[in-house]
Amino acid sequence: MARTRRIDTGELPEAEAIRLAQQGDAAAFERLYRLHNRRVYSLCLRMVGNTAEAEDLTQEAFLQLFRKIATFRGESAFSTWLHRLAVNVVLMKLRKKSGNESSLEELTEPDEESGGPRRDFGGPDLRLSGSIDRVNLQRAVEQLPPGYKSVFVLHDVQGYEHNEIAEIMACSIGNSKSQLHKARMRLRELLHEALRAQAREDRKAASAETGGKD
Amino acid sequence: MSTSHFVPAQWLPKSKWKTAGLLVPSLLLCSAVSAGPRRQEQHFKVAAHPVITIHNPNGLITVKAWTKSEVMIISTPASDRIEVDAEQMGNRVDVSTRELSDSVAPDDMRADFQINVPEDAELQIHNDAGNVSVANVLGDMNVETVAAGVDLEDAAGYLSVKTVGGSFTCVRCAGRIEASSISGNFRLLNLRSYHVWAQTSSGNILFNGEFLPNGTYSLKNYSGVIEVRFSPGDSFDLSATSLKGKVNNEAKLTPSTHQRHFMPRWGNALFGTFNEGRAKIEMTSFDGTINILKRD
Amino acid sequence: MATITCREFRSYLAPWMEGERSEDAQAHVRACPNCSSVIRDLEAIHTEARSWSASEQDAPERVWTALRTQLEQEGLIRDTIPASVDRAQAAAPRTGWFAGLFPRLPRPVLAGAYLAALVAVAFALSGPVNRRVNEARWLKGTQISTSPLSAQLNFAEQNSSSYVTRSNSVVSASLHQNLAIVDNYIALCEKSVSEEPQNEVARDYLYEAYQQKADLLTQMTERGENVQ
Repeated sequence: MARTRRIDTGELPEAEAIRLAQQGDAAAFERLYRLHNRRVYSLCLRMVGNTAEAEDLTQEAFLQLFRKIATFRGESAFSTWLHRLAVNVVLMKLRKKSGNESSLEELTEPDEESGGPRRDFGGPDLRLSGSIDRVNLQRAVEQLPPGYKSVFVLHDVQGYEHNEIAEIMACSIGNSKSQLHKARMRLRELLHEALRAQAREDRKAASAETGGKD
Repeated sequence: MSTSHFVPAQWLPKSKWKTAGLLVPSLLLCSAVSAGPRRQEQHFKVAAHPVITIHNPNGLITVKAWTKSEVMIISTPASDRIEVDAEQMGNRVDVSTRELSDSVAPDDMRADFQINVPEDAELQIHNDAGNVSVANVLGDMNVETVAAGVDLEDAAGYLSVKTVGGSFTCVRCAGRIEASSISGNFRLLNLRSYHVWAQTSSGNILFNGEFLPNGTYSLKNYSGVIEVRFSPGDSFDLSATSLKGKVNNEAKLTPSTHQRHFMPRWGNALFGTFNEGRAKIEMTSFDGTINILKRD
Repeated sequence: MATITCREFRSYLAPWMEGERSEDAQAHVRACPNCSSVIRDLEAIHTEARSWSASEQDAPERVWTALRTQLEQEGLIRDTIPASVDRAQAAAPRTGWFAGLFPRLPRPVLAGAYLAALVAVAFALSGPVNRRVNEARWLKGTQISTSPLSAQLNFAEQNSSSYVTRSNSVVSASLHQNLAIVDNYIALCEKSVSEEPQNEVARDYLYEAYQQKADLLTQMTERGENVQ
């Protein structure tokens, strides 16, 4: 009658799970966690680069979510709301690490003239040189400033649309598009730099060899 | 209608329980005292980022921030046929007003509240009639009313306000602000917000605040007036459309060069950039008047 | 057709990646190996990144275990209805201002039901061409459930307690007045849309008016107001 009914949580639809979670039902919390933890964990992992911190951040994001769940009004998608929380948790952590309390906008690089890299517009084709492989790109992504990294991961890795990212990041759609573009251009630069650094290493190694032979 | 009137907390004697020094440090402590006919005062110790929810049919609700890690609820129900419940679960305090008998006249279902919270508290307030005011609270908040007006001052965070007919005044607030109403008027003043979304049907919207770089400001109604004020140093990209009403603009805009240029124009439309166009302003009305005026 | 330089092309680059490819830009890309190489690089970055989501994994189980413990410690997990509400229900099972605590139906679902009904009526009256497309597109955009009205109301019956709430006179008057305001707007918007069927702005206003009405009807139902 007045008691919360237990439902087989494997089949609980999300809307029901949210409603039950708002009443404090444990199985409903677990259902929401199972539905969303992969995305959240992967986002955190891409942003901070190591599993220990990513686990902590995932736990923190869900904790905040469940604390606030009564305030969810159902007017935007639940997953968007959750991701906004998760992104905030991650960015707060990154801000603390870098030691300044700058706003989200300031976590990206200063405005360049739109659409163009600062140098090296031409250059060898990265695909042909084999630089765009998982490891190289991952390293490059790790070096992105937090704002660019968030938008890049949400869009290119996790496949969110700009309107969803705008809600998650509390920015405009235009902002999301321009951040994404800048992120990709920056990644391209980083990959080129890595290529050049590798080429220098190779040349040094080669000349050391020939110098040694006599 | 009951005639109990609201007495500000500072004029009432402090809780005897507290001065007796019987507080036990624990998250689940709640201390309650009655001083006066139906007035009730309760204290709850909380940790960081508490959540406070209030469900009340009618009354004056005033929420203020203080430096204690504690939530104080002073409630004054209008009749003895209703009761205010305040319950703590972990870091949440839930406050609700309920009837004690079947025969309470709807107009007697009224309770006034004076609530003090830590400044990082998160609020969820449902109050149909009366008024809600919140000052200096920096956590997210969601306020829903029917006829009650809402006043937020010096608040920050994700501020979401929804009314049917109640007006909304927001002064010196920051963060992200979303407001919707049917006939309520909005006054958004001295804001430092990076995202404002305000939609009312027959109400007026006045926005006189900062346009932050990369901020988005979306103001919409059916009829009535939407007005923004700007200064020469502001920087924004503007899109103003009234299908059947007028657009009065005092800002010297340069025509935009980007996508919006290609959208078909309906009614009276104005698109352009002021200075570098760093913020984005969108004003839309069905048959109301849109004013873009210089600040005096 | 004017030819553009590489420097000028830079400002076409972002829109290009979003799918906007003007004639000038296309011509330049065909002709310029440097710029087309940049585009290939950006596309390759995007493609490689997209493949990463296939190998995403769940967080280790210890995250849930720790989380669950914290939820219990904070008292967020409640297996029973709070005592105060239990008492109230025993004392006054059929009345009480509970709309906020235990709505008859989760508001999005009820509003969705009203909305679906309103939309169905409106679209039945509008032209046959594009009706389905518009309806589907709009409903998707507003994320409203599209299950049939009857199924949703049945769900409501099964799961709600029968709370009848009464609003005070100020609230009741406000709800009814505002319903009249919204109905008036709906009439004006419908007129506008029928006069200018291509006007997307007018159409958006109409759809939003429906949504407002559905939301208002929901609020009125929750408070036991006579709806219609």
